[in-house]
Amino acid sequence: MILTPKILARLAAIVIAAVLLQLDFLSGVTVLGVSPNLLPVAIVALGLLGGTMTGAVAGFSAGILLDSLLIGPLGGASLVLLGVGYLGGLFRERFEIHSSLVVPLLCAALSLVAELGFGAVALVLGLDTAVSTLVVRDMLVNSAFAFLLGWPIYVGLKRALRPALVDDLEARRSRRPTVLGT
Amino acid sequence: MYRKQVRRRRAVLALLVIGSFALLTVTYGRGSDGFQRGVSTVFSPVQSVADRALKPARDLVNWFDETFEARGENSRLRNELDVAREQGVGAQAALAENAQLRKLAGLRGSGAIPSGFDEVGARVIARNPSVWFADVTIDAGSGDGVEVKDPVVAAAEDGPGGALVGTVSAVTHRTARVALIADHSSRVTAKVVPSGVQGVIRPEVGDPDDLILDFLDSGRRIGRGTSVVTSGWRSEEIGSRYPPNIPVGEVTEAPIREQEASRQVHVRPYADLRNLDLVLVLTRGSRG
Repeated sequence: MILTPKILARLAAIVIAAVLLQLDFLSGVTVLGVSPNLLPVAIVALGLLGGTMTGAVAGFSAGILLDSLLIGPLGGASLVLLGVGYLGGLFRERFEIHSSLVVPLLCAALSLVAELGFGAVALVLGLDTAVSTLVVRDMLVNSAFAFLLGWPIYVGLKRALRPALVDDLEARRSRRPTVLGT
Repeated sequence: MYRKQVRRRRAVLALLVIGSFALLTVTYGRGSDGFQRGVSTVFSPVQSVADRALKPARDLVNWFDETFEARGENSRLRNELDVAREQGVGAQAALAENAQLRKLAGLRGSGAIPSGFDEVGARVIARNPSVWFADVTIDAGSGDGVEVKDPVVAAAEDGPGGALVGTVSAVTHRTARVALIADHSSRVTAKVVPSGVQGVIRPEVGDPDDLILDFLDSGRRIGRGTSVVTSGWRSEEIGSRYPPNIPVGEVTEAPIREQEASRQVHVRPYADLRNLDLVLVLTRGSRG
């Protein structure tokens, strides 16, 4: 990803919009008894588009903002989200995305990893009460939401960040070829 | 060149991980008032506007979800749903908000708010997205007189009156975090009425509709449908600072075997903890 001030501003706007949308909209709705948590999906998508550093820094920033707005201890959400952002970016750097199923599957898997990460943070902060089996259901349903919405979110973010993407074939094809010597 | 790039990436990753752990260590239990106050000052007006703007959309999604759930219920509910369908989503949201406000306004008369407390009305502007935490952010803070450990109530889901929602766990000038009674950190000293059996309400993480009333006197039976209110006592281990007699919920499951073996029953909270919108913070409680 080519990081110019304009692209950095876009990335910051995406992270802020994703956090606000999650806290003020998605966390307040229930679908199939679960409030969808799509913040990890947005971070994974940024990692898949920009690589490890973009994913990790976006995840860290989103986590700090999330914890600040929830007035919770800072650092927990950052740790989890930077982890999934980094993993998303690592996938992009190591493998090619050959199938349109890869992104949704990755979003679903890393969304599950994020929820497990949040669980680990809760344990570290002192979880000393019973855990309902419904937690598993909620995590799986959230993962299913991530699967369904992973691709549209990825495509939307790809469109928003297109000028910065170095290996975007579509952008390359649509660009007018440079003709020398005329 | 490539190695240098990899080394730089690893260094940034290590820095971010160490930064996260450092922040967690420094701010856990104490908060980082200055930083969070700054962030909340910038974002709370945005969040208030976003919350209000997105409410119709939220209500629409919730309406579809509730409609889907209601399909299995009896014909009376279907008729009510038909009537509800005819009303516009916006009008329905306004009606619901109006009903909540009426309930909240009538809380003092109902006896749900103990004397000596002032009420501060607030709107929920953010909800924790993780299944592991049950806390919300409200748009009232220390500037409105809200302090840490102030109890928070909301209109009961069914019927008149109010119900306990949680307690203020952190506060900035304009906003406050409310740890709900379904949060893993919550403990509420409570009693069953009218029998007066005492216990402690603790949550089961991931299921906000099912609380557990624990440490009961095994010699006394508790029936299904009985009400549970706050008892008002506190101890060093249980940081419950709730004033007495605030309704919490009703007993939904009370098998005799479970009462004898585990000395516990299940309680469904009166307040709809998943869809909180307007709440009342009872101030001066922790000082009084």
